[in-house]
Amino acid sequence: MSISVLVIAGRDLKRFWSYKFWLAGQVVMNIADIVIFGLLFNNMVNRSLIPDYIKFVTPGILSLALFISSFSIGREVGVELRREVTDYLLSLPVSRLELVLGRFVGGAFRGLIYQFGFLILAMLLVGQPSPGAWLVIAYTSILLSFAMSGLSIALSTVTRDFNLQATIRSVVYYVLFFFSNIFYPTQVISIRFGPLASLVAYSPLSIATTLYRWGFGYLREVDVVSNMVLLGLWTIVLILLSAAIYLRNLTRRG
Amino acid sequence: MRRVSVRGLLDLIHVIEWDIMKLKHQTLFVAMRTTWFILQVIVFGTTISMLVRYSQGFNYYDFYLLGVFTSLIYSVSIARGYEIADEFDEGIIEYHLALPVKRSTLALGRVLGGSISSFLFTLPMFIFIMILVQPGSLLWIPVSLVAIYLFSAGVVGMAVTIVLSVKSTDATDILMGVIDALLIRLSTVFYPAPILAKIMPYYYSALINPVTSLSDFLRVLFLPEYVVYTSLPPQAQIAYIVGLAVGFSYLAIYIVSHKLEAGGWR
Repeated sequence: MSISVLVIAGRDLKRFWSYKFWLAGQVVMNIADIVIFGLLFNNMVNRSLIPDYIKFVTPGILSLALFISSFSIGREVGVELRREVTDYLLSLPVSRLELVLGRFVGGAFRGLIYQFGFLILAMLLVGQPSPGAWLVIAYTSILLSFAMSGLSIALSTVTRDFNLQATIRSVVYYVLFFFSNIFYPTQVISIRFGPLASLVAYSPLSIATTLYRWGFGYLREVDVVSNMVLLGLWTIVLILLSAAIYLRNLTRRG
Repeated sequence: MRRVSVRGLLDLIHVIEWDIMKLKHQTLFVAMRTTWFILQVIVFGTTISMLVRYSQGFNYYDFYLLGVFTSLIYSVSIARGYEIADEFDEGIIEYHLALPVKRSTLALGRVLGGSISSFLFTLPMFIFIMILVQPGSLLWIPVSLVAIYLFSAGVVGMAVTIVLSVKSTDATDILMGVIDALLIRLSTVFYPAPILAKIMPYYYSALINPVTSLSDFLRVLFLPEYVVYTSLPPQAQIAYIVGLAVGFSYLAIYIVSHKLEAGGWR
């Protein structure tokens, strides 16, 4: 990785800390999802489907936390495009590919740093992963953060209208979030989504959540290798597609 | 004296109109927001309902529909706070303060305009919810709309009060984020009062939470079987919603009339 990529990523990471108030709000929201929503919903769920909802939902919150924080870079890229800061970025002595890579790395780092505290929380609430499982967890987090960072950047460059940018990001956010196994188990997904159930099971957020559930010992029988390969394929496709869209829209006018 | 009050009324209408007119430029935004609300209700709502034990004597999905609508009207109304923060950034608040309009009129106009705008914004979602819930009596629809509007006015008043008091983008972000995270989760939006009562601090927080009052009031109107599980009697809920609207509108007027100065935005 060239030094330019790291410099650009470092710039994005520095700016992440300037949103400490936004971050504090997000942390409160994610923790509230576990200690309020999870705890109360635990008293309502059908025990034959989910014996312990807190242990079930905590790995899902890990995916959600990573997703939200990696997605945060999209908003900034959108603002830059609207305020034509992009022209300044293009004038820097770095290649366009380095610029795009730097942004993706910056977004991914944001996700990984933000998620770190939640990994410790998951260890306390769900279970202690083995060293091998930690490697799987690390692999999952790195790939998902890159995929989501790239996706949010690409989506934010589709239009210069700020409201439309926010709306597109929200629609994609909700589609990925609702069509995933973060809040509901496989049995319910199979009944509810019928033939679409496998699409839900193989969405990037579902795969990551399944791997986290396995890593923290909530699920035992998971085909870890297949899930890791699938997540790898998703990441490659999303990064290539996102890079192509971002490169195209960097110089597009109107 | 008479001329002054007519002028005051005209000023108030103009301020309200200013807020509502902004909605005209958000048609696409409203359409997309409606779409993802429908997606949330159809996908997330139906799926999460399948996880719930049906031992509470009511249909959880109908319960959820009225709760999620309450959280929507809350979010749309509180978002006025972010808009006002943007207006401060862009100097629009200073421009408003320089207008030959009484400050109390300006504040009341912003609260009424913001709440009418939020109310209109969520109307398509309300119609969708009514189609799904199929109310037993159509008479309850106007009653519920009045309660929803009053709740929205209270929340907009709260947003105006907070944003204009703290005068800081950072503080607005954190306060709104924390309030949003806690008010929605510590309410009966997703779980009925008896479930909350299993953790007493959560239960007492939910009792004083206006989000609980509106969601339970709507349920009492449209799900009569829910009445035994409600946190407070319906009269107390509606009194609380009216109190919220009047109290926060008054606070917003007080802040704008006595405390607000141009500049100093951090």
